[in-house]
Amino acid sequence: MNWGALTHLDALADEVKKRGKRCIYLFMNGGASQFETLDMKPGRPTGGLFRPIASNVAGTQVCELMPKMARQMDQIAVIRSMRTSEVDHPGGIYLMHTGYRPTANVRFPEIGAIVAKYQGREATDLPNFIKIFGHGGAGGGFLGPKYLPFEISPEGQLPTFSASSMEPARELKRHEVRAFLEDRYVRERQSEVAAMHRESYEAARRLQNAHQAFKVDQEWEKHKALYGDSAFGKRCLLARRLVEAGVPFVEVGQSSYDSHADNFAWHKGLVPPMEHAWAGLLTDLKERGLLDDTLVIWAGEIGRTPQINNRAGRDHYVRSWTTALAGCGVKGGMVYGASDEDGYDVKDNPVTEGDFFATIYQALSIDPKTENLAGVRPVPLAPFGSKVVSELLS
Amino acid sequence: MVVDKPKLLWQLVFEGTWPMAVCFLENGRRLAAGNQAGQIYVWDLPETPPAFEAPKNSDRKAPDLPPVRRLDGHENGITRLLPTPDGKTLVSASLDRTLRVWQPADPASGSAEAIMDIDQRKAKAKRDRKDESLTAPGVKVDTLGSVATLAGHDDWVLSLASDREGKRWISGDMSARVIVWDLAERKEVRRWSGLSWNWILAVAMSADGGTAVVSEARYKRDDFDIPSAALRVYDTGTGQEKLDVLKTMFPKYKPDDTSYGGGQVWRKFVAAGLVAADMSPNGELVALGQGGETDTGKVHLLDVKTGKVVREVSGHQYGVTDVKFSADGKYLLSTGRDTMLRICQVEDGKEVAALGSSRGGQFKDWLSALAISPDQKFVAAADIAGLVHVWSLEG
Repeated sequence: MNWGALTHLDALADEVKKRGKRCIYLFMNGGASQFETLDMKPGRPTGGLFRPIASNVAGTQVCELMPKMARQMDQIAVIRSMRTSEVDHPGGIYLMHTGYRPTANVRFPEIGAIVAKYQGREATDLPNFIKIFGHGGAGGGFLGPKYLPFEISPEGQLPTFSASSMEPARELKRHEVRAFLEDRYVRERQSEVAAMHRESYEAARRLQNAHQAFKVDQEWEKHKALYGDSAFGKRCLLARRLVEAGVPFVEVGQSSYDSHADNFAWHKGLVPPMEHAWAGLLTDLKERGLLDDTLVIWAGEIGRTPQINNRAGRDHYVRSWTTALAGCGVKGGMVYGASDEDGYDVKDNPVTEGDFFATIYQALSIDPKTENLAGVRPVPLAPFGSKVVSELLS
Repeated sequence: MVVDKPKLLWQLVFEGTWPMAVCFLENGRRLAAGNQAGQIYVWDLPETPPAFEAPKNSDRKAPDLPPVRRLDGHENGITRLLPTPDGKTLVSASLDRTLRVWQPADPASGSAEAIMDIDQRKAKAKRDRKDESLTAPGVKVDTLGSVATLAGHDDWVLSLASDREGKRWISGDMSARVIVWDLAERKEVRRWSGLSWNWILAVAMSADGGTAVVSEARYKRDDFDIPSAALRVYDTGTGQEKLDVLKTMFPKYKPDDTSYGGGQVWRKFVAAGLVAADMSPNGELVALGQGGETDTGKVHLLDVKTGKVVREVSGHQYGVTDVKFSADGKYLLSTGRDTMLRICQVEDGKEVAALGSSRGGQFKDWLSALAISPDQKFVAAADIAGLVHVWSLEG
């Protein structure tokens, strides 16, 4: 486990602003439809039942399900030309967390692990890589268990190991005995695994000093209207608290977008709470002066088919779909690339998964060509041949 | 109603986007159907269909007939079509957030060319690798606008019902708003809201117009954030709740619970939403169909006064789409995602007819709505495959 945020939560904001870049990944598990969000095709056979509305960027329309994000379009850059290479969920989730297709030989690390390594801090109370109802199981990959995510439940519950059930004095005594034995073992055996185990224990103990960062209830009452009264809204508020406390990477998940049936009802249920929370998060980050150094990613693992099937659903589609970025030097108000008139194919400027991650790393001031060793094999952060979409970055 | 060897009389082609609503007009020889593009077409059905021989290897089992009129005005999908008791006035509910009132027999205001078989044309063009079929002439239809628009909803209108005389109407939208209308005055007489997060999926009104049953639910916000459904009986004159059915049924029901466990006590009964409702002619029973994509697709029959389940009647695997009582209250008719129209006896739940044929289950279309002719001799069903089926119930 990698732990990196500050010990003293009270004096965080100013300190955090002086430090490195942060990232919040809003992950739409199952694959949100581009047609029901940010790339509508009104009047076309593939257009579906929703209607577009104007946004605060001239000439850019969004789905009527997104009235709050329509007023934040000047803050985000929409990529309407994603073309990725894994059409099903497991592969897509892996791909959209690592930038790589799953392979038998190399376990690639998730973006959260990479941000933890390059933007995280050692020996502090909060983890560097946190998932709140996160998805994707690649974890630290070849970077090792040090960069595994700290996972919080969909309802914001911390894992059981994050609190001791013992009296503090007894726990301390027990810890001292264990530390003495483990230190000696590590010294004598030169064991990396044992050292890791020792570090994990230390980290879990330190986390107990930082529980306050995870308690959103008091702030929730004040911010419920801003984020929208939903579980996803509450998760986004927690994400903001955590990046403000110095955590460099937080993933926030929303599930159930796999709308093979009843696509329109599903999106009418899912998108409004999501877009309310997303818009609230951007507002909150901006008001706190955090948006300039916090990248907010919005993506799922796949897009959805242009054609509507006979269950009123849309199936998986990766030939042309949509993601969005905001903050951290991303040019707000921009629409990059385009799909064709029915959304079947990319018309301009295709963006692969590699390009997407290269651009993200660049925005986070991490060189996407940086290599790590998977065994003896050097592996760049973004796949070979990926290009940074520099038009998206100021 | 007499159900005796029902026979398929017509299969009216209505391709393009899905037909979602259907109703009989006037004496039952005129039929209207609406689709997801907001188009409403009207057909005049001759007393006797022509002789018909199905082409070899064709799914077609009955003759087609071109429409005679198109009713223009809605800007998004049609969700419900209901006539007044004399069959002369038609009321439509739409995703464009309005209700519209039509007099389909009024003089036409114009004419247009309608292409009803666009899916077949596209298939032919693809097969022949020639585009001629796409540009071939369609059928000429008269066009007509609505006589009134009832505005008041702020979201998609999914549900519509009326009293026996067609004076009082009720509609519900996806912002939890319920509105009671006086049709003659074209005005709203009462409104109330359900649970703020819910969609009004179905409404049913008693014959005297004094009581309404309102079904609410919504799709989840997340796997771990599923708000409560509701099912209530209202006095339409005051808008006051008379009975909270789910509270009666499930003492642990708490509408504010939004997660699993205790918050989901209603889930098995409601399933993915009670999307279809109708009250029996004597006002004692309400039929409620489980919709969405659900394995069970049951139809519950409830006592309106007590909220107790009297029995479960029939059902459609993969979900119910519409329910209606016969005028004598003896039969319950329902359509569903199993591409079937089922007719059951209310007194014992026994199925007496299953019209249509299952096209292979979950991935093969739905019958989206049904209608019964005023003389109770014919039934019609809208089919998302681009058809409207009409059966004679007496062979």
